[in-house]
Amino acid sequence: MLHRESGVFKTSYAADMALYPLPIARKAVALIIVLFAVVLPLSLDEYYLSVVNLVLIAIVGALGLNILVGYTGQISVGHAAFMSVGAYTAANLAVHLHLPFWLTLPAGGLMAALIGAIVGIPSLRIKGLYLAIATLASQLIIEWIINHTPAISGGAQASIQVPRPEFMGREIKTQGQLYFFLLFFAVLATLATLNLVRSRIGRAFVAIRDQDIAAEIIGINIFRYKLLSFAISSFYAGVCGVLYTYYFGIANYEAFQIGVSIDFLAMIIIGGLGSVLGTILGATFVTMLPIVLRLAMEPLGGLFFNAGQLSSIIASTRLILFGCLIILFLVVEPEGLNRLWRNIRNYFRVWPFSY
Amino acid sequence: MWDELQFSLSLIVSGLSIGLMYSLIALGFVLVYKATDAINFAQGEFVMLAGFVAAVALGDKVPVLAAVAIAVAVMVVFSFALERVVLRPLLGRPIVAVIMATIGLGAILRGLPAITVGGQTRALSLPIGDTPFVFGPIFLPPIQVLGVVVTLAFLGIFSWFFLKSRMGIAMRAVADNQQVAMAMGINVERYFALAWAMAGIVSALGGVIWGSMLGVDTQLALVGLKVFPVVILGGLDSIVGAVVGGLIVGVVESLAAGYLDPYVGGGTKDFAPYVLMIVALMFKPYGLFGTHRIERV
Amino acid sequence: MLKLKSWRTAAMAAGAVVLSASAAQAQDKEIVVGLQCDRTGPTQLVGTALCPGYHDYIDLVNSKGGIEGFKIRVIEIDNEYKVPPAMEAHERFKKEGAVLEGIYGTPQTAALSKKLDEDKILGTSPGFGTAAAADGKRYPYVFPIAASYWSQGAAAVQFAKKELGGSLKGKKIAYLFYDNPAGKEPLAVLEDLSRSEGFELRTFAVPAPGVEMAAQVLDITGRFRPDFVIAHLFGRSPSVSIKELKGKGYPLSKVISLVWGSSEADIQAAGGYEVAEGYHTMQFAGVGSDFQVIKDIDAMYKAQGKSPPKEQAISVYYNRGLVTAAVHLEAIRNAIKAKGGAKPTSEDVKKGMEAVKDFTLGGMVPPLQVTPEDHEGGGWVQVWTVKGGKLVKDGEWFQAYRDVIMKHLAAIN
Repeated sequence: MLHRESGVFKTSYAADMALYPLPIARKAVALIIVLFAVVLPLSLDEYYLSVVNLVLIAIVGALGLNILVGYTGQISVGHAAFMSVGAYTAANLAVHLHLPFWLTLPAGGLMAALIGAIVGIPSLRIKGLYLAIATLASQLIIEWIINHTPAISGGAQASIQVPRPEFMGREIKTQGQLYFFLLFFAVLATLATLNLVRSRIGRAFVAIRDQDIAAEIIGINIFRYKLLSFAISSFYAGVCGVLYTYYFGIANYEAFQIGVSIDFLAMIIIGGLGSVLGTILGATFVTMLPIVLRLAMEPLGGLFFNAGQLSSIIASTRLILFGCLIILFLVVEPEGLNRLWRNIRNYFRVWPFSY
Repeated sequence: MWDELQFSLSLIVSGLSIGLMYSLIALGFVLVYKATDAINFAQGEFVMLAGFVAAVALGDKVPVLAAVAIAVAVMVVFSFALERVVLRPLLGRPIVAVIMATIGLGAILRGLPAITVGGQTRALSLPIGDTPFVFGPIFLPPIQVLGVVVTLAFLGIFSWFFLKSRMGIAMRAVADNQQVAMAMGINVERYFALAWAMAGIVSALGGVIWGSMLGVDTQLALVGLKVFPVVILGGLDSIVGAVVGGLIVGVVESLAAGYLDPYVGGGTKDFAPYVLMIVALMFKPYGLFGTHRIERV
Repeated sequence: MLKLKSWRTAAMAAGAVVLSASAAQAQDKEIVVGLQCDRTGPTQLVGTALCPGYHDYIDLVNSKGGIEGFKIRVIEIDNEYKVPPAMEAHERFKKEGAVLEGIYGTPQTAALSKKLDEDKILGTSPGFGTAAAADGKRYPYVFPIAASYWSQGAAAVQFAKKELGGSLKGKKIAYLFYDNPAGKEPLAVLEDLSRSEGFELRTFAVPAPGVEMAAQVLDITGRFRPDFVIAHLFGRSPSVSIKELKGKGYPLSKVISLVWGSSEADIQAAGGYEVAEGYHTMQFAGVGSDFQVIKDIDAMYKAQGKSPPKEQAISVYYNRGLVTAAVHLEAIRNAIKAKGGAKPTSEDVKKGMEAVKDFTLGGMVPPLQVTPEDHEGGGWVQVWTVKGGKLVKDGEWFQAYRDVIMKHLAAIN
C-alpha cells in the first residue's frame, strides 16, 4: 500500500520540475542523508571507513564515465588517463604553487576536461569499437607523456607527494575526516549529474546515443555536444584523480592504467548504463567485491589451507568470480543492478496487488 | 652508412615477422567479428589458454604434434561452449555488453591456471632449435619463421574459404544479414559455431607459437592488446586487413623503437601504431580494408 | 531452495563461532605481521615463489615454538601490483594490529611511505622501492633492508669493471631497462659513474609489458655493440631479453642482470640453462638449497607427511622470501628482548629493526647492518653465474661505490 503518486498534486512549475517531487522520495532521501552523514561514520571503524572512502572516490569517476558511455553512447576506454591528468595537475599545483585543495581540485578537473575534449575530436568521424580503440590510444599516449616529462611527473620516480588538504586550518588526515571530505564531493557529483541529465544538454546527449544522424537532422550540433560530453566526463575523471591523490597522499601514474579504465567500465555496465543510481550501485559493487570476497574466504579457507596457498587461491578466485559475475549480470540482467532495483521498487509500488 | 642501412633493414625485417605474429592473433578476432559481429576482448586470454594446454601437455611428455592437436581440440570445444553458453543469450544487446562479457570471460580465464595447474611460468619448447637463421645482418629465430609460415598459410586458406567455398560464402551471407540468410535456408547457428571453431583453431596455433616465444603464464594474455591497432587499422572484418594491418603495425613499432626511442627516452613503440591508426581512421573510418557501414536513420 | 539457504547460513554461523573462539584464545601470545604479494599481476613470476618462502620460514619458526614464546600470524594480501589494493591492504594490516609489513612493488612503496610514517608501522622493500629510503632519517618507517636499485646499479658497474680487466675507460656499457620508475631508479648513479669511470653509457628503454624488445636489442647488438650490458628488467621481460640477446648473437657472459631478472624461473622461461649459459645474475640473498634453514624446512614438511614445496626450485625468489621473513623476525626478536619479554608495538619493532646486525642465517643473508641512519643495511650483493646447467656462485658478498651512493642520498635529501 505504498501508492506513491496518488494524492500528490503540483501547483507550480517549480514543484513539477523538482528533483524529488514526491513526498515519499523526499523522506527517503532525507533518511539516506542522515544515514550517511551521521550513522555511518560513527558506527564503522577505520578499516571499513577506508573501504567506503574508496567507494566514494570511485562513484565520482564512474558518474563521469556514465555520462559519456551511458547517456551519450560513446565508448571510452581511456578514463583512467584523464584521472591521471587531473591527479598530476593538482599535485604539481599543490607542491609548486602551494595552492589549497579547493583551487587544485577544479584546476585538475578543468585540465582533464581540456584534454578530454581534444581526445574527443576523432569522435566526429569514428564510431563504435573504432572510437573505443582510439580512446585506448589516448590512454597509452597520455600515460607515456606523463611518464616521460619530468616537468609533469616530478622526476624519475614519477610520483609526487602532496600535503594533506586543509580545511579551516586543520589537516584532513584520518579516515573519518577524509570520509566527510569525499562524501561532500560524491554528493556534489551525484546532484550535478542528476540535474545534467534532466537538462537540455542531457537530452541532447541521449538523442545522440539513440540516433545521432536523426539528432543532427533536427538541429542538434552533434559535434559540439559530443565534445561537451567528453569534456564533462573527463572533468569528473580529473576530479576523481585529484581525490585519489589527496586520499593516498601521492600522485602516481601507475595507479591509473588500462586495468583501472576497464574497472570503471565494469562499474557502469554492472550498475546499469544510463542511470545515476545504477552507477552508484555498480561502483560500490565493483570496488567492494575483492574486499568482501577476501573477508568471506579467509575464515572459511583458513580451515582448509595454510596462509600461503590461501592467498593464491583467493587471488585466482577473485578473478574468476569477477568474470562470472559480470557475465551473469550481462546474461541475466543486461540493464544491470539498476533494473534489479527498479523491479523491486515496481513490485512494492502496487503491493499488495500484482498490477 | 652501410651500418645504418643494415640496421634499418634488420629493423624492418624484424618488424615484418613480428607483425605477422600479431596478424595470427588478429585473425582469430577478425574471424569471429566477420561471421558473428561479436567483439572478442578476450582474444589474448584465448591464446593464453591454448598456450597452457600445450605447455601442460608437453610437460607431461606428450609428443609435440599430439600436444598441438590437443590444444586445437580443446580450443575448438571451448569456442563451441562459449558461443552457446555466453554469446547466444547476448545476441542483439548493445556492443558494450558483448565487450564486457568477453572481458569478464578473460578474467575467468586468467584466474583458472593458478588454481588448476599452478601459475608458475612454463616454457613451451618446440623441437625447432634456437639458432637463428642468419641472412647477413638479419637474424630470424626459427620460431618466428614458423609463425610467418603458419600465418601466411592461414591467410591463403581463409581467403580461399571465404571467396570460393560454399561454406565460406554462406558465412559471409550470415554476417551480412542474418534474417535473410535464415530465410534462404542457411542454418545460422551452425555457421556461428563454425566461425568460433575456426577462431579457436587460429588461437590454438597462436598460443603455441607465442607461448614458445614468450613462455606461458597468465601474462601471455597481454599480447591480446596488440590485436586492436592491427584490426582497427586493417578493418574489423577483413582477413587481408588483419595481415596487412599486422605488417604495418609491426614495422612501425620496430622503426619507432629503433629510431624514435633514443631521442625521447623510450616507449614510443607502444603508441606509435595507435597514432598511425588514429590518423588512418580520420581518412578511412572503417579501417583500410573494412566494410563501410551504411547507417540508416 | 529455502532449505539450502538455511543450511548454508547455519554452517557459516557455526564456523564463525568456532573460529572466533579459537581466535580469542590465541591473540595474546600472537604477533601479527602483514605481507603484500603479487600473485596475479605482472610480476606474479616473482610473487608466486617469494611469498611461499616467507610463509615457510614463519611456519618453521612457529613449529619450533615461535619467537621468544610468541607465535607469528601472517596476513597476506594480493595487491596485483596495483596501488589502491596496496593501500587497502595496509589499512587491513593496521586494523589487525600488525607490527610490521612487507610491501611489494616500487610504486606501492612510494605510495605508502607517508602512511607508514603516519601510522608508525614499518614497511620493508628488499631489493626494490625508493633508493632514497635508505636514509633512515628522512624515511623513518621505510626499510629497504637489502641493496636498493642504486646499490645494485653501482654493483653492476663494479662487476663489469672487474670482468673487463679492471678499467672501464673508453669502454661502452648499455643499460637495458624496463620503462617505469623502478627501471629508471639506477640511472642517476649510472650516469654519475660513467663520468667518473670514463665509460660511454647508453640507455635502452623497454616499455611495458616488456615482452617485446627486438628493436632495442637490435640497436644494442647491431649498432651500439657495447662491451657490457646491464639489464634491469622484471616480470616476463628478463627471459625475453635472454632469448633476444642470445638470438642476435650477443654473448650472455657480457650481461649482468639486476636482482629481479636473475632467477631460475627467468632462465627456465627463456628456454633453460643451455640457452642462458654465461648469464650473470645479481642476488641479495643466497641461492640454491644448500642451507641449513632449507633443510630444516624440508624436515618440517616431511614430518607433516608432505614433500617440500615446488617453489623451492625457484630458489632465488623463494630464498628472498625466507630472508625477508628472517629479518622481520629478527627485528621482532630484538623488540621483544628490549621490552623484557612483553608483546611489542610497531614502534618497538621499528627500533628492533634498526638494531639488526650480525645476522646471516647460515650465509643466506648478507652481512646486514641496519642502523637508524642506514635503513638499507649496506647494500650487499653477490653475483651468481649460469655455468654448466646451473647457477654457480661467482664471488663473495660485496658492496660497491658506497661513497657515490651516500653522495646521492645526501643530495636528494
